[in-house]
Amino acid sequence: MDGVLIPTLVSGLLLGSLYALMASGLSLIWTTLGVFNFAHGALMTLGAYIAWTVTEQLGLGIALGFVCGIGVAVLAGILIELFLVRPFYESRNMMLITVMTTLAASTIIERGISMLWGPRLKQLPRVLDGQVNILGAPVSAHEAMIIGLAPTVLLALWWYTGRTSRGRSLRAVGQNQDSAALIGIDVPRTFSLAFGLSAALAALTGILLGSIRFVTPGLGADPLVNAMIVVIFGGLGSLGATAGAAYVIGLLEALLVLWLGLYWTPSVLFVLLILVLVFRPNGLFGRAS
Amino acid sequence: MSRLLEVKGIRVGYGTVPVLHGIDIHLDEGEAIGLFGPNGHGKTTLLRALSGLLRPEEGSITFDGKDITGAKPATIVAAGLVQAQQGNTMFGDMGVEETLELSAFTPRARKDRKGRLAEVHALFPRLAERRHQRARTLSGGERQMLSIGCAMMCAPRLLILDEPTLGLSPRLKGELREAISVIAEKGVPLIVVEQDVEFLLALTNRLYLIEQGEVASEIDRDNAPDHQEIMDMYFGEQAH
Repeated sequence: MDGVLIPTLVSGLLLGSLYALMASGLSLIWTTLGVFNFAHGALMTLGAYIAWTVTEQLGLGIALGFVCGIGVAVLAGILIELFLVRPFYESRNMMLITVMTTLAASTIIERGISMLWGPRLKQLPRVLDGQVNILGAPVSAHEAMIIGLAPTVLLALWWYTGRTSRGRSLRAVGQNQDSAALIGIDVPRTFSLAFGLSAALAALTGILLGSIRFVTPGLGADPLVNAMIVVIFGGLGSLGATAGAAYVIGLLEALLVLWLGLYWTPSVLFVLLILVLVFRPNGLFGRAS
Repeated sequence: MSRLLEVKGIRVGYGTVPVLHGIDIHLDEGEAIGLFGPNGHGKTTLLRALSGLLRPEEGSITFDGKDITGAKPATIVAAGLVQAQQGNTMFGDMGVEETLELSAFTPRARKDRKGRLAEVHALFPRLAERRHQRARTLSGGERQMLSIGCAMMCAPRLLILDEPTLGLSPRLKGELREAISVIAEKGVPLIVVEQDVEFLLALTNRLYLIEQGEVASEIDRDNAPDHQEIMDMYFGEQAH
């Protein structure tokens, strides 16, 4: 067992890191606008394909791949907000309508990617080569980099939304739009900011994921479901709760795969989610409101 | 004295329901005015239109020589027309100090935000005591202080206060009124909505009675009506 446990924990940490990056983007949009962006997974995929084209087809290197992948996703995220979410702000059914419109965006982006890039599997290069040892288990340096990068990005995001004026405005708009407008915060622009930032996190996750798995048009679909579990499981709202839940789910998933196998793991995760919500309706780390 | 705010014939409604049927009010630099009148007759709607939260269907609003009719709330606040809403919790999960700091959001307000924060703390020492508390845990009076404090952080060139003492205990009412008088003495032009006409007469130069979406009458402090006349305005002649 010893020989398996450490690698399993490491792969749990890796999963947790990717979920944390992805779920924090979803959570950002949820706390600012009160909607779920179902196109989040498609933005991940878009970022990965753009990065692949820049890196492999144009041969411009992975660093520029990251920049372009994230840049295009940010643009797409802002356009989704502008054309598919903004027209429905005033509607009472905004949340349901935006489920449909963002699902539509997701389908359009994924089909568009299939058309443009074709069905062949792609692979992004690793940022770092070689191996490092974590607690005696050999781990690729690239995966170790992801495990270290995720908390760094989350800390930066936490600092941004907690300490800077522009970042605080995201939380303010989420809590009281009228009050935010009355102290001079441009509410629609803050919505664009939330979508842009969230898309950047999605693309970053997509590019990282595309370098440890194959890049396919469905790259973001499965992780999106798990990222949604993470956001709800953690208790909708706070960045810290989302990050905590991401690591819990990541480690749990890795251990469940070890104990039960790949087949039953998603079902068991859902059952656990429902159980947590029965006993803690505000999520694992959510405050009673 | 120059005209700071000029509202001309604005009509505002919610959907197909008209609320304001052409309102004219004005305010000069260095002046304080009061609005009073029965509830549900359009005072808050007028204030929402002034801050850009509602778009007038007709008429114009000019602030400091610039037409701000239909402008975005953020633009209006940046120009210096700032409003403290009544009973406003601001941002429930945000700390008091954080909320005040955030309120100095526009470039003009950011310039001297340290000094202005000290000013707000001097005005409402309780906000300094509660600086790390979340806004949702504040009492009604403290929320009102926070709401006014946030408006002060915006560096107002015209400050609108919507029923700042509504529903507060007499002691808190007194405390807030004193703070508002201090703000007025600093020379910040004010528009104050209140039901207590005596308080408004002591604080402001002119009063507008808003009734059924119109300015029913304009009262000058120098020929102010007596108590009975005010009662008549509110309740009609049958109050005799």
